[in-house]
Amino acid sequence: MNALAHGASYGALIILTLLTTVAMGVWFERKFAGRMQSRLGPTMVGPVGLLQSVADVVKLLNKEDIIPRDADRGLFTLAPVLAALLSLGAAAVVPFSSTVVAADLDIGVIWVVALGGLTVIATFAAGWSSNNKFALLGAMRGIAQSVSYGVPLVLSVLVPVILAGTMSLSGIVAWQTRHHWFALWPVIPGLPALGLFFLAMLAESNRIPFDIPEAESELVAGVTTEYTGAKFVLFYMAEYVHTLVGSAVASVLFLGGWDGPIAPGLHWMVAKTLALFVAVYWVRWSLLRYRSDQLMALCWRRLTPLGVGLVLLASAWALFAPGGPA
Amino acid sequence: MKTLIDAIKSLKTTVSNVLRPVATVEFPAVIRVRAPRYRASFALTNDEHGELSCVACQACEKICPSGVIKVKSGGKRESPATGKKRQYSDEFTLDLAACIQCELCVQVCNSDAIIMVREPEQPVYRREDLVLDLDRLRANARERTAAWGTGSVLQAMQESKPRAEPKAKEEKPRVEAKPAEEPKAPAAAEGVT
Repeated sequence: MNALAHGASYGALIILTLLTTVAMGVWFERKFAGRMQSRLGPTMVGPVGLLQSVADVVKLLNKEDIIPRDADRGLFTLAPVLAALLSLGAAAVVPFSSTVVAADLDIGVIWVVALGGLTVIATFAAGWSSNNKFALLGAMRGIAQSVSYGVPLVLSVLVPVILAGTMSLSGIVAWQTRHHWFALWPVIPGLPALGLFFLAMLAESNRIPFDIPEAESELVAGVTTEYTGAKFVLFYMAEYVHTLVGSAVASVLFLGGWDGPIAPGLHWMVAKTLALFVAVYWVRWSLLRYRSDQLMALCWRRLTPLGVGLVLLASAWALFAPGGPA
Repeated sequence: MKTLIDAIKSLKTTVSNVLRPVATVEFPAVIRVRAPRYRASFALTNDEHGELSCVACQACEKICPSGVIKVKSGGKRESPATGKKRQYSDEFTLDLAACIQCELCVQVCNSDAIIMVREPEQPVYRREDLVLDLDRLRANARERTAAWGTGSVLQAMQESKPRAEPKAKEEKPRVEAKPAEEPKAPAAAEGVT
């Protein structure tokens, strides 16, 4: 099988799986959030409300597709598509097992970080083209946030890259399979780097406690204020896919990807990804939103210096650790 | 650092909530057992002759703190049942939109005409639908379960206060009145439907 056919078939499979997981993830989130707040969550549609996501999507697709009169029509339509494409695109290089990977790029890490960073363009396109002050404010906040948090994100990603000596995601997992998970050893750059990556990922995908571009209490719905129906579904989906792919990347970079005893690799990868995915919701429904300036202070005064320190430690480890670099 | 500790505390709280049983029920399917003195809407009762008990004295209209009750007397006329002359209320409206459910109207009613019922009204789309008129109030008396209090019951509780003797004031007169006056809760059977 040539690379193109391989990529296309696995890509289609991975995208379908991701979208199904997102649909179930929405159900899970609502159920989980309900239990956290001592309520039941969805119960009516299907057994234990399992079909709630289907009902949600059907409802949203039935809604009128409104484009505001003064909106930039082309950009307004393009933005949600862009958001969905970019967030799905990052999944292309994520190795779900040693064989299940759409495109095993040598620079997979750069691809993931770049596409994750590009979603900011979709955010700003949406905010600008809506011609709505709330959307624009949300978009500008989104840019400030994503650009700032890109720095600690890249710094945290550099730790496994330096330790493993490769930028290929599969290569990083292979290294961890041979040696140890980066979150476990060396524990000092490893575990804090996972935490840093997790926080930066929350900020990049605009999840609570960093959902400042959305900030319902201040900005109506932020960049998605003017979006309805199918376009809103795309934004919503993009956000979830972004979180899911982020969790997958985190488990590849720090938790050894498909490495694990007894069960086949894919199971481990899925389990680790879902565990992080759940952690995102756990954080989301437990914490309050940061104020915009607090968010920036956290990024530049705490997380970025921490990231630099971790990178230095990782470099030192790679150079001087007993047994030498990987 | 404090932020971090607080964040961890919140994470702990939510997880402990997940492990606890839920506090809510699936409402339309499961209705919680309502307290014996639960009260929701209003009704106008009939007397023993099947006539409207209300004599349009307007005591409820005067005491209502929200001013939601409007009573219009139709003047005195002969009762077909007893042959005696008495006063009737021709118009009686109660606007639930501003009602605070204080039950003062029930408390002042000397003819036990206005009472509260245990079943709440359905949600409505228009404010006008929240106004209970004479027909709806009388229908409520026929169709719904009467709540615990009536004018005479509530007034009896007040009157049992021994006002004349200053010594007795130091005791708690309201408490001693309660057990004797409390009728059997009609709603004990109500609950899960």
